[in-house]
Amino acid sequence: MEQRDAWRITDRLNAEHGKGDPFAAAVRATRMAMIITDPRLPDNPITFANDAFLQMTGYSREEVMGRNCRFLQGPDTDRAEVARIREAIERREDVSVDILNYRQDGSTFWNALYISPVINEDGELQFYFASQLDVTDRKMNEFQVSADKDRFERAVAERTRELELSNRDLAAALELRTTLLHEVDHRVKNNMQIIASLISMQLRTIPDEGIRASLTTTLSRVEAMSTVHRRFYQSGDVSRFDVSEFVRDLVSDLVIATGRQDIRTDLDLEAIDVPADKAAPLALMVNEVLTNAIKHGFPQERGGTIRTVVRRDGTTCRITIVDDGHGMSEDVKTRPSYGRKLVERLGRQLQARTTWADANPGTRVEIAMPIEQRRRGS
Amino acid sequence: MTESRPLNVVIVEDEAILAMELENMLEDAGHVTVGWATCLSEAEELLREVSADLALVDIHLSDGITGIEVADLFRRHTGAPVVFMTANPKLLPEDFAGAVGVIAKPYTSIGVMAMIDYLQQAISAPPPSVSQPNGLTLAPDYRERWSA
Repeated sequence: MEQRDAWRITDRLNAEHGKGDPFAAAVRATRMAMIITDPRLPDNPITFANDAFLQMTGYSREEVMGRNCRFLQGPDTDRAEVARIREAIERREDVSVDILNYRQDGSTFWNALYISPVINEDGELQFYFASQLDVTDRKMNEFQVSADKDRFERAVAERTRELELSNRDLAAALELRTTLLHEVDHRVKNNMQIIASLISMQLRTIPDEGIRASLTTTLSRVEAMSTVHRRFYQSGDVSRFDVSEFVRDLVSDLVIATGRQDIRTDLDLEAIDVPADKAAPLALMVNEVLTNAIKHGFPQERGGTIRTVVRRDGTTCRITIVDDGHGMSEDVKTRPSYGRKLVERLGRQLQARTTWADANPGTRVEIAMPIEQRRRGS
Repeated sequence: MTESRPLNVVIVEDEAILAMELENMLEDAGHVTVGWATCLSEAEELLREVSADLALVDIHLSDGITGIEVADLFRRHTGAPVVFMTANPKLLPEDFAGAVGVIAKPYTSIGVMAMIDYLQQAISAPPPSVSQPNGLTLAPDYRERWSA
């Protein structure tokens, strides 16, 4: 009872700071807003409010004394939080809530409210003590962060959706590209076959040996290109081409085509992938050299061996074709034939160096080609 | 090989030029082309009319990718070996749908002739004594059966 009276006295006397009860004086002077309510009076009215409370809410002491705290609530105050406070008070428990309150002038502030019951030694409820802290800045930050987070998450979701869509578009485009590539590849192969067949059929109608020989040479060149195209896209990488696989096919085809059993072949091949665009010109070069070796090296009744070596030499692809046949006559060496010219020109296209030498017996031809095309001037 | 019996061959190919030249090549080698079909229905018709020792079948025909079905028909109705001739060997299933093998387009005339010689031996007196020609890829079970 004494304690209760002491509160009233200090309030009523409006004593100066630091006088009377030092605890009461501290509560009066603190910058934290504090009030005391009396649950034993009807509607649990405010019986004490310090200056900080009045300053925070904008009310005068006369306006707050004897009133229930709910006058601080307004239309946007969260009813659920109010219910939490009410339930805690009914259960005589302490409670801590952030709640939107209204000042006397109608403006709002976020109030970090803490209420705790004061119970005496006999277990009787005497007061409620409440402290208030204006946490509007913190709340605004929280709202801002939350809004930023929402905006960010929405942006991420949006971007993810865009990426998924463009991934799907890319996959579709890639599939279309692959389909088109196969379609074109198929058509090229078929057309190569048709060109060869047309020449072949024409050949059957020609009795003249000279013209037949000429057409046969043309067919052989077309078929060398066919051999290249047959090898295309058989490996996974459409941009590269294995020289050795092609040389193996070509040597075999050309020697079988002679129908001669006395020409043997000897292959020493290392797998070398070259860019696909080099395949056709290289094939034509090798075809000329091999055809030459068979024609000039092994005329009727003279058999022997054609050795073909494919080697990687640093950045160079080295193709060596050696026969132990008759050797080129002086006439063949000096007379610039169309086949020879073809080899020289194709060699220039491929930046390759071709050397023809006597192998005693026979002829040795070496094609040294940079695997990757060099830039002009470098 | 001249002693062997000539083969009766059916060509299933939608490109007329290719079929013509195949016919020429077969004739040169002493064989007989008994029929030409460009699609599945023509192939079905052909099956009822002729008997064949060998069928050369393109996979892409004028009515689509029906060559595999054609090959299956021939195998079941005549038992004649089938060789696919295609620009796209990757379309074939792993077991080659029961065919003997495949020749990849563009083939060379030499490649085809060598294949015919080889097959003639392989069919009449297996296993063949000549070595397997370059252009021909055998189906897994034939590879086993004919590897000398």
